[in-house]
Amino acid sequence: MAFDRDKTAHIHRELHSHLPPDPALRVKALESLAVERGYVARETLDAWIEAYSERIGPKRGAEVVARSWVAPDFRQRLLDNAGMAVREFGYEGHATGHLKAVENSDSVQNLVVCTLCSCYPFALLGMSPIWYRSAAYRARAVREPRKVLAEFGVTLPEAVGVRVWDSTAELRYLVVPQRPAGTEGWPEDRLAALVTRNAMIGTQRDLALPDTDGPG
Amino acid sequence: MDGPHDLGGKEGFGPIDVTSPPFRHEWERRQWALSKTSDKGAMGGSIDAWRHTLELLPPAVYHAVPYFEKWCIQSLCVLVRDGGVSLDEVVRAADATPEGPGTARIWSVEDAVEAVRANEAFFDADPGEPPAFEVGERVRTLRHGSPGHTRLPAYARGAVGTVTAHHGGHIYADLSAEGLEEGRHLYTVAFTAPELWGGTADPRDTVLLDLWEPYLVPA
Repeated sequence: MAFDRDKTAHIHRELHSHLPPDPALRVKALESLAVERGYVARETLDAWIEAYSERIGPKRGAEVVARSWVAPDFRQRLLDNAGMAVREFGYEGHATGHLKAVENSDSVQNLVVCTLCSCYPFALLGMSPIWYRSAAYRARAVREPRKVLAEFGVTLPEAVGVRVWDSTAELRYLVVPQRPAGTEGWPEDRLAALVTRNAMIGTQRDLALPDTDGPG
Repeated sequence: MDGPHDLGGKEGFGPIDVTSPPFRHEWERRQWALSKTSDKGAMGGSIDAWRHTLELLPPAVYHAVPYFEKWCIQSLCVLVRDGGVSLDEVVRAADATPEGPGTARIWSVEDAVEAVRANEAFFDADPGEPPAFEVGERVRTLRHGSPGHTRLPAYARGAVGTVTAHHGGHIYADLSAEGLEEGRHLYTVAFTAPELWGGTADPRDTVLLDLWEPYLVPA
């Protein structure tokens, strides 16, 4: 079935002018229709909310990053094909089929954005923070990444170039931050606790150690 | 299409609320959950058709309403367009107290976690011909956009970059939105910041995009 653009735009206008403006009521309308038509049960929506609050979130990505720091063979598998590598944790799934891991270095800071919508590796990092899908971030990350990073408290050393990855196709990106100095010999779980969601998107560069006043 | 969604490089949006969490309101969580199980059947279609429906929101609405409200309107639009639901039914559903438990099976949290895992999707598709470009080659993007769904952002049109990766054939988004699953070669192309934003941009910086072969010509 060919996409009917005019009809779609017309329905949008009709819906917007006839529905109550409160978004909670609009979502209620969708939920009622979806339940009534047998697409989903109300209790299932509660299960989804709990799954994404408790089980699926940035702690998953942090575990993957920590292992890449301690296991050189895993690091290589992650860089070769991150989608396959996260399967070793059982963290593959929604939007990780074509996952690419990009490492920060002394001369590179990676930054991920989706200027056209809000692409994100959901199964690995959970739901994205609001700022990631905000118009301001989507508009500015590609044009003035250094100003954007400054708003997140990141000042880049002179030698560092920014690589901005705009997720325009079905590839998704995981930024692998640098392992902080002073963590030699730490076990994986202790290292994983240092890795933040922002660091894995690229809006944090230096990971803070506990009980220090590091940035971030 | 040159729609309101194509935000890269647009100016005037102001500072970023850097502390914002994933959700602020209960209805946002509810909509996120709805999108997990409703993206099939009459409320679904391909990811590209989903995106294109959202892109067709009137620009003023796109910019005014919160993120998850756009997802909600998108789904309601698809229900009316393809799902046999009338506009009146949608308006009544917003107004009335819902009745009855429905007929769908109830999922556990474990079911949901497993469904996320099983939802690993691959977009590889045979392009049927060898790639036109190779890694290291200079390419130029098209100057003009497509009237339909496309993944070449306006800010990266008519620009010269370097191919840094070839990903084989991927389902071509522009046709996928129209219901056709065809493979085209997909590349990562790196553009210097000055190429995209002019001489005042920082020469240390690059922007990388994943672009299908039909968007590219030899530089």
